[in-house]
Amino acid sequence: MIELYHIWKQYQKPHWAISDVSIEINSGDFCFITGPSGSGKTTLLKIIFREILPTEGQILIDGVNILKTPDHKIYRLRRTMGIVFQDFRLLFHQTVFDNVAIPLQIIGLPYKEIRRRVFNALRQVNLHHKMWEFPQRLSYGEQQRVAIARAIVNQPKILLADEPTGNLDPELAFEIMSIFKEINKRGATVIIGSHDRELIRHFGDKIFFLQKGKIIGKEAKQ
Amino acid sequence: MIFKQLSYLLKAAGNNLWNFRGRNFISVLIISFSFLVIGIFLALSNNLTYLGEQLSNNLAISFFLDKNLKSEDLDFIKSQILASSLVDQVTYASSDEALERFAANFPELKDILDNLQSNPFPPSYEVRLKEKAINLAAISSFMENIKQLKGVIDVQFNQEWVEKMDSLSRIVQAIGFFLGGILILASFFIISNIIRLNVFARKNEIEILRLVGATNTFIRIPFLIEGFTLGLLGSLISIFILFLLIKIFPLYVGSSLGAAKELFVLRNLTAEQLGWLITGGAVTGTLGSVTSVSRFLRV
Repeated sequence: MIELYHIWKQYQKPHWAISDVSIEINSGDFCFITGPSGSGKTTLLKIIFREILPTEGQILIDGVNILKTPDHKIYRLRRTMGIVFQDFRLLFHQTVFDNVAIPLQIIGLPYKEIRRRVFNALRQVNLHHKMWEFPQRLSYGEQQRVAIARAIVNQPKILLADEPTGNLDPELAFEIMSIFKEINKRGATVIIGSHDRELIRHFGDKIFFLQKGKIIGKEAKQ
Repeated sequence: MIFKQLSYLLKAAGNNLWNFRGRNFISVLIISFSFLVIGIFLALSNNLTYLGEQLSNNLAISFFLDKNLKSEDLDFIKSQILASSLVDQVTYASSDEALERFAANFPELKDILDNLQSNPFPPSYEVRLKEKAINLAAISSFMENIKQLKGVIDVQFNQEWVEKMDSLSRIVQAIGFFLGGILILASFFIISNIIRLNVFARKNEIEILRLVGATNTFIRIPFLIEGFTLGLLGSLISIFILFLLIKIFPLYVGSSLGAAKELFVLRNLTAEQLGWLITGGAVTGTLGSVTSVSRFLRV
């Protein structure tokens, strides 16, 4: 369970990127954070995986206050998460395989197991035939799918995705959402930042509406 | 845990060494130059120490005695000389033997000797020191003790030369360590900056690694391997160049130095000195990278 209590975030005075956001996301939820550009979606996701710290407020993940976790132990939290960054954050001098394998290599899995899991993850995003290509030779949409494969390869408990379908055609976007839904069915909590109304309407079980850093509405499918 | 990831870490370090080979090559050159300077001075100092040893091994101390000493006094002095652990052999040379030796060594002065009315040469004990008895302080105190005995009128020993050689060797060593120290410090900062550039070039990768759950140690190790390798390579290359210099120097430069040639011979380094040079290189490289990576690792 992810609980955010009275989260405030200020990058520069006097503007608040996030203003007093309190939300609860249950384990196994498939939820969207939506809102116009600049509403604070990315900031909120970054706060959840502790890339940035809030100015004020508390965050509990499975009862643990992650703001009190010492810096040198934060890697444990991140190993339970899969993250799809808005800008993909791929390593262009490494192959698709190497990029997707990073989360598995850092936990020291044997090479055979890494190969099997990377292949499966790439097959899920329909990129297994480009395993040995370098990212710069792939299209924008394909690069995005590599980023998704890297996020799901370690079967995370929590999957965070920031505009994961922003550059994909509607057909592929639906396919990717289906993959997320599949991961969600296996027990993972999925939180997606998106402004794609069609996708949200189709897939969203729980939706948080953000505007100017404030939660202005919440919707949950029964 | 880290051992399981060793192949990944080694691969990452290897990739980094290869990807930034230009600047890595320059840092290896700088390290090897620094260690080469130290190596050359060590080799020169080894030679001076060697010459000093040779000098002291070949030198005998002569204790000149009163002509009128009784045999029991002579025996007493001999026993006192032999009591020292520095002494290898003692030979007695009477006044007549000394005169004969002088006549044999300087035949052109025969006329002067023939005109002498009495034998001016005092009898003496000639003492050969044991090899490796280079300790000048011990030799001095031994000579002082014997000189105070009744009947010993003078002592002769080319101590000055041995001392000069000894202090020259120390000076050369000190200059070597001073210059080498400055150069090592410079190469430490250069390695540190080169690794920092490498870290900066891989900033994106470090960030991704951190965000997907890599520990700081995991991120740091490839850079440490890189620094260690650069330092080690640098010191090994310096030893190789030094080896070539030791072989080539006497052939081309040494012959033009004339009598001073002996002073400028580069003598091989001892195993211990080689060990220190290699360790020094590896430690310099590793420390250089530790300082630069730590500044970039903020979770």
